Amino acid sequence: MIISNLSKSYTAENSTIEVLNNFNLTVPTKTITALVGPSGCGKTTLLRLVGELEKPDSGTIKKSSEEQGRISYLFQEPRLLPWFSVLTNVELVLRPFYAKNERINKAMSFIEMVELADYARLKPDQLSGGMRQRVAIARAFAYPAQMMLLDEPFQSLDSSLRWLLVRSFVKLWEQEKRTTLYVTHDVQEALLMADQVVKLSHRPMDILALHKIEEEKSNRSLSDPQLIALQTLFYG
Amino acid sequence: MSRSTWTTKLTVVISLIILLAIWQVGSYLLDARVILPTVGDTLASLLNLLKFKPLSVNILATVNRSLQSFLIIFTIGTVLGLAAGYSKTFHAFLKPILVVCKATPVMAVILLAFIWFTSNTVPLFSAFLMGFPIMFVQVEQGVQQISSQLDEMSQLYSFSKPTRLKFLIIPSLMPSIITGAKASLSMVWKVVIAAEVLTVPRYGVGSRMQLAQVSLETAEVLAWTLIAIILTALGDLLFSLIIVLPKKFNQRFKI
Repeated sequence: MIISNLSKSYTAENSTIEVLNNFNLTVPTKTITALVGPSGCGKTTLLRLVGELEKPDSGTIKKSSEEQGRISYLFQEPRLLPWFSVLTNVELVLRPFYAKNERINKAMSFIEMVELADYARLKPDQLSGGMRQRVAIARAFAYPAQMMLLDEPFQSLDSSLRWLLVRSFVKLWEQEKRTTLYVTHDVQEALLMADQVVKLSHRPMDILALHKIEEEKSNRSLSDPQLIALQTLFYG
Repeated sequence: MSRSTWTTKLTVVISLIILLAIWQVGSYLLDARVILPTVGDTLASLLNLLKFKPLSVNILATVNRSLQSFLIIFTIGTVLGLAAGYSKTFHAFLKPILVVCKATPVMAVILLAFIWFTSNTVPLFSAFLMGFPIMFVQVEQGVQQISSQLDEMSQLYSFSKPTRLKFLIIPSLMPSIITGAKASLSMVWKVVIAAEVLTVPRYGVGSRMQLAQVSLETAEVLAWTLIAIILTALGDLLFSLIIVLPKKFNQRFKI
């Protein structure tokens, strides 16, 4: 995906907020690109533009043939339907694509992957925050999308749970790779998950640094000297 | 049953006994049965009513009118509430009609309706005009309270229109629909009986109240009032059962 000269501004109370001004970024197909930057710098706006939830003022987003079509979204909140079970929440996004039995089996297989098979009949409010976010991960992966957009999905969770979910996410992603844009303000999370990490500036958002990480995601450790060096660079 | 539930029930019974005692003492002090009959006189009149066949005919006529009005209010209120919730233009279009409905006194509606319609139609029409705004406003506000985050999620995951309606909109609106239906049902009973009192159709609880009042049978007016109260309470109870039973059934059979 090639993002070229993207500009977006908002008007609020007689003042114009320039979020993006001729922003450029290349996202390699079937990789995870992490966008790390301060709060309010425009990361979510970029995600919404890529997800076609909003239109840019100018500029283009050119997707490859493998990236065109449906998009899975993982939000800061799980956004589950509170009235229905875990299974229904995952199965619902498969309705246009599969017959009943097939979609239930498919949904169950993703629920098993996030280790919630025993909770499939429970409703979201009967689960903990971490479990709910795992359901949202299962739903995002179950949806037959060409791209995934993640907007700080583990932000509200405690650190041990966060690492567990990061591992769950990577495990699922490795099974079916899709171009993924991942917004976070947590450098460590980005270094464990991404193929390329982009450090962003304040508004209007610009790239301060871009680093590719070749190491297999499953083998990465935060005590690795390369990752320690990158942490220092990004926190600096 | 928990202790607090027992305490609540006991308090309700004590409150009821105090109410009856005040009534009884008041009737002895006034010593005028035409103005305030005793509890015993009223109960005797109620038993007397229960012995005769017209009771069921009158009750059925009132129940029939109330349920018909309620179903019309429920259907039209829900559909138009949904439309107004999603369309600002439609909301603006209906605003004056709603303001008029809400501000017009019940009696004025009934009197005007009596000029335009037959005595059988007046209770239906009046109950609709009084109950419709309640149902409509609840549903319209319910639409505005549908989570924008869930709505966005449903769009991103390409929910079809029927899926969105069944899995997002209807469940989101359920509390508003229940509140609106419950409040409009309570209103319907009162307006239907009030309209029957004023228009005196052949059968109806209100008609019997009016006839008893004309013949200064105060105990019978009170007996019919008790019947009206029981009908309203039964309506509320039935409504609660309709809401609770499917949930219990689902829990029991883990649907």
